[in-house]
Amino acid sequence: MKAEVTYTDAELIEAISDGTDLNRAIQFIYRQHAEATSSFIRHYGGSEQDADDIFQDAVVAFIDVVKKGKFRMESNVRTFLASIAKNCWFNELKKRERAGHRNKQFEMNRPQDEPDVAEHINDLEQKKQLRDLVEGLGESCRKILLLFYYENMTMREILYHLPYENEQVVRNKKYKCLQQLTGLIKDNPAVARQMQEIIK
Amino acid sequence: MTPEQKNVLIDHLDETLRGKATASLEEIIGNDPEAEKEWNYLRLAVGAVKEAGLYQEVSAARTAWKAELGIAANAATTNAAASTAATHTIPQHTTTTAKVRTLSRYGLRAAAIILIITASAAIYKYLSVSSGSLYDRYYSGYNLSTTRGAGDSDPVMEAYNAKDWTAVRQLAATAKTRTNQTDFLAGMACLEQKQYDEAISHFEQIIAVNTHAGSDLYQDEAEYYLAISWLAHRNVNEAMPILEKIRADQHHKFHEKVEKMSFFDLRLAQYKENK
Repeated sequence: MKAEVTYTDAELIEAISDGTDLNRAIQFIYRQHAEATSSFIRHYGGSEQDADDIFQDAVVAFIDVVKKGKFRMESNVRTFLASIAKNCWFNELKKRERAGHRNKQFEMNRPQDEPDVAEHINDLEQKKQLRDLVEGLGESCRKILLLFYYENMTMREILYHLPYENEQVVRNKKYKCLQQLTGLIKDNPAVARQMQEIIK
Repeated sequence: MTPEQKNVLIDHLDETLRGKATASLEEIIGNDPEAEKEWNYLRLAVGAVKEAGLYQEVSAARTAWKAELGIAANAATTNAAASTAATHTIPQHTTTTAKVRTLSRYGLRAAAIILIITASAAIYKYLSVSSGSLYDRYYSGYNLSTTRGAGDSDPVMEAYNAKDWTAVRQLAATAKTRTNQTDFLAGMACLEQKQYDEAISHFEQIIAVNTHAGSDLYQDEAEYYLAISWLAHRNVNEAMPILEKIRADQHHKFHEKVEKMSFFDLRLAQYKENK
């Protein structure tokens, strides 16, 4: 049987901040908080797919906030995640123009003491556009950039994962791929303009 | 900027430059608008890669979690059958060597039995579970006299206690003031008379009124029987989120009742419905 790690809120924040065991932390978040948040989304008209997508966005936003050191322990993780998910879903409903009764009901049911998470979810759409640009890179470029910048692997370690001759070839390929990505961003001035402020 | 100059910027971004080279690049970025612009694009690109990586990692956790949910649901069914079969087939007193052999022989038999039982149970379950059958299983009437306002002389309540469903609906429709109670009793009367659309609209009305007024009169009752009405209406997709909400809320009046429901069956009915 797989050992399941549990965290207190403080331990979870620490695990995400120093990134040593992020994967387990994310799995814990899912086991601990996904069901309650997802059932809320479903209650307000979302499908199971909607609930899963919204919760995934909420987890990404939450980790982002923690990594940037912006998470304050004024609210607990559950409340914070739920607030992000609710706001994401509210925005989604607005976007779909399904408003009407359910939106009103949703707004009225929002507790007064709910944390203000608006600043953390404003850029979700732009981030999605950026992710799409990375997706558009092609398999080999995407892998090399992810291994280097996300997994923090050295050129030598990347050699074990990708079929390149030596470290210099990997380095040259990485230069090329990163420049290709900046090119894609430049071709999307709206993304570039909006994101300059976000990623600092 | 030339590709070579861009590569030097990338090295600076990766923190692979040292000493003077870093200092001079800082100066260039500070004084050359084109270099500064390129620098910002590179940072943005790296931010995008990190964002994509995080999204990918969360996505993997999501997939794993969904798989765990599926396994847990299947294991619950299989374990029940396995424990019954094992009790009857494993001998109590044997030598260690014989035990291993016997266990493996009995194990194979048990596995075969479990497989047959599970397959039969699964087929039976699949064929027999539907939103209609779930409604039949979980619907029970609402006893007004033991829960609220016993002894009141309200004609709608009197008709309800007398199980005169037609009178309840007529009186509720012609009542001078429409309250959550009259709506609820009318909804229940509609349920009893299998007028599910009308029942749903009564229960939804109560929830809407409470939402706007910030009150909770008959809220829990309306939510539970709304879910039951959706089951009767053969629409598990609408019933599920309400039932899950009640199950998650330990203070809900119908929490215990909903917790006793088989969510496996409900999901199965939902699956059949969405097929």
